[in-house]
Amino acid sequence: MNIVIGHLYPDLLNLYGDRGNIQCLLKRCQWRGIEAEAIAYELGDSIDFDKLDIVLLGGGSDREQMLVCEKLRQIQPAFKRYVEEGGVVIAICGGYQLLGNSYKTAQGTIEGLGLVDMETEQGEDRLIGNIILESPLFTMPVVGFENHGGRTCIHENQPLGKVLYGFGNDKTSGCEGIIYKNVIGTYLHGPLLPKNPQLADELLLRALKKKYGTDRLSPLDDAWEEEANAYIVQRFIGKKA
Amino acid sequence: MKIRKILAVWAAKGARLVCQWMGKQGVTWAGKIALKIYPPILEELSSEVREKIFVVCGTNGKTTTNNVLCAALEAEGKRVVCNHTGSNMLNGVAAAFALAASMSGHVDADYACIEVDEASTRHIFPRCRPDYMVLTNLFRDQLDRYGEIDITMNILEEMIRTVPKMTLLVNGDDALSAYLAMDSGNPYVTFGIQEQTDTKSVQEIREGRFCKRCGERLEYRFYHYSQLGDYHCSGCGFQRPGLYFNARDVQVGEQISFWVEEKHIVANYRGFYNVYNLLAAYAAGRSAGLEMENFNEMLKSFQPENGRMEQFRVKGTGVTLNLAKNPAGFNQNIAAVMQDERPKDILVAINDNAQDGTDISWLWDVEFDRLGEESIHSITVSGIRCQDMRLRLKYVDIPSLLEADVERAIRQRVDDGVGNLYVLVNYTALYSTRNVLKRLEGEQ
Repeated sequence: MNIVIGHLYPDLLNLYGDRGNIQCLLKRCQWRGIEAEAIAYELGDSIDFDKLDIVLLGGGSDREQMLVCEKLRQIQPAFKRYVEEGGVVIAICGGYQLLGNSYKTAQGTIEGLGLVDMETEQGEDRLIGNIILESPLFTMPVVGFENHGGRTCIHENQPLGKVLYGFGNDKTSGCEGIIYKNVIGTYLHGPLLPKNPQLADELLLRALKKKYGTDRLSPLDDAWEEEANAYIVQRFIGKKA
Repeated sequence: MKIRKILAVWAAKGARLVCQWMGKQGVTWAGKIALKIYPPILEELSSEVREKIFVVCGTNGKTTTNNVLCAALEAEGKRVVCNHTGSNMLNGVAAAFALAASMSGHVDADYACIEVDEASTRHIFPRCRPDYMVLTNLFRDQLDRYGEIDITMNILEEMIRTVPKMTLLVNGDDALSAYLAMDSGNPYVTFGIQEQTDTKSVQEIREGRFCKRCGERLEYRFYHYSQLGDYHCSGCGFQRPGLYFNARDVQVGEQISFWVEEKHIVANYRGFYNVYNLLAAYAAGRSAGLEMENFNEMLKSFQPENGRMEQFRVKGTGVTLNLAKNPAGFNQNIAAVMQDERPKDILVAINDNAQDGTDISWLWDVEFDRLGEESIHSITVSGIRCQDMRLRLKYVDIPSLLEADVERAIRQRVDDGVGNLYVLVNYTALYSTRNVLKRLEGEQ
C-alpha cells in the first residue's frame, strides 16, 4: 500500500509548524509498514490530483496568502473535482479559510476556492489561545492552538467539533472547523495531528479506504500522544478525557 | 521635580536590592517604580549620555551583541550604560539608566548600549533618541504575541523613520533586514559574510522567500543558515547590498575566528551565529568612530552571561546553558552543540508562559533530527510543555526521558550522564534554570 500526500505551497503557507502534520502522517504510515511520501508543490507547479491521496493546505501570513490566492484559482477546477470525488483534504488556518467562497477583509474581498460552501469575514480582534473540541468522529478530545482574525460561517455544513475551551469558527456559535465529504478544515494548529492521533488516523483511513477499500488500521502505541493530549485537557478544563 | 528624579533613582536601586536579596532579577520592577515616581526619567537620564546611544534590535542575538558592544566600548576606556540582563522593554530600559545613575540622580557615561524588543521601540524611541541602531536579523518568533513578521517590520520601519538621523547597522545577508534599512530612508551601514562557508546547510524554514519590494521569488546563490545568504530578485533587481564590514575566512569549531578589515577576530566560544554577533558589535563601534583596537583582547576575557552558552560545573559534570527560543535560534544552537564531538547528554526545557509565547507549534519547525547522532548519550525533555517536546522527538524516531521539573532533570543527568551536559531552554525557563545551576555549583 502506498499513500501520496500533496503539500500545497509550503514555501508560502508554512506558519505554525505545518511540517509537523506532514511528518505525523508519514510516520504513522511508516510505523504500520505502509509506504508514504509527501510531495511539496511550489507556486506555479502543475498538480496532478489523480496522483494524490491526501492534500494538505496550511496557513500563511496575510500577505503570503494573497500571493497564493491568485495561483489557486488556476488549479480550482481540478481541486474541485478531487474534492467531489472523495479526495481527502486537511486544511488548516489560512488554508481552511481558502476552502470557502470568500474572505472579506477591511481592504476588500478575497475570492476563495469555493470547494466548500462557507465564508470568512475579518473580525475586530484576533482569536488566540489553546483550544479543545469534542468531535463526534473521535473518542479523544481534539486539542490545538488557534490564532485567527477571521470569523468563519459554515452554514448548514457539519463542524469538526463542539468547542469545549477556546473560540472556534466565530467566537459565538460554539462550533469549530468543518467536515465536508472527505475534507476537514480547522483553525487548529499546534500542530494539529501529532497530539490528535485519532484525527491523523481518520485521514489515513479515509485515504486508504478510497484507494484500497481498507476498513481498519493496525493500532499503534499512542501512550505519549494521549498523555500530551490529556495534559491540555486537564490544564484548561480540568477533567480527564 | 529634581527631588522626584532622585527619589526615582533611589527607589529603583532599592527595589533591585530587595529583589536580589529575594533571589529574583527585579530589573523590570525597578524600572516600573522609577517610571511611576518620575515619568520623564528615561528622557532625562539618556540625554545625559555624552557621546552616542546605540540600540540593538532584531530577533536573535540582541543580548550577546549588545553585551559584546558594551564590553568593547569599555575596553576602549569608555563609560557605558547597558541593559546587560536583556530586560529590553520600556521598564527594563528605564531601569538600566536609573540603576546606572549616581545617588544624586545623574548618569556619568560616554555611551549607552541598549537592546530593545522590536515592538517596544514604540515606547522607547520617543523617549531616548538613538544615534545608531544595530539590526541583527528578523526571524519568526512568538507569532501569538507579535503576529506575523510583517507586523514587526512595519513597527520597526515606522520607528526608524522617527529618528531620520539615526544610522542603521544592518545585517546585509538578511533580505528582510536589508530591505527595511533601504526602505526606511535612514543612512545605513552593512555587515555580513560575503562568501559561502562550509557550515552544514539544512532544510530549514526560511522567512521572506519572496521579494519585499516586488513579490517575486528571491533567488539565492547560497545560504549561511535560515534565510541569511546571498540573494537577488530577478523581478526588480533587489539584491544583497555590498557588505561594508565583511567577515572573511570564517572558521567555526571549538572557537570561532574571522578577519574583518585588518583585524583577526578570535573568540573562545561556539556557534556560527556568534560571528554575526561579534561582527555587528565591531561594526557598531567602528561606525561610531572608534578604532576598536582592543576588541580581540576584550574577547579573551569576555564571559558570555545570562545563559548564552554559559558554562557551569556541577559535581564533575560540565554544564552548558543556552537560550533557544525560536526555530532559527534553536537550529543554530543544535549546530553549535553538534560541533562538540564528545559524548553528551542533552536537556531541552520548554515553557509556554506569556513571555515565551503561549503557542509552542514552532517546535515542529526546528530540525531536531540532528539530535539523533551517535555522540548523544541521552535526551531529556523538561519544562511545562515537556510532553509536546517528547512527541516532537518521537516523530523523528528519537526516544527521550521525561522529567517536567528542571532541577530534578538536571540532578538525574549529573548523576547518570556522561559528564558533558547541554541544557537548552526557552525564555522563562532560563532564569530559574540558571539559578538552579548556580546553586548546584555551590553544593559540591
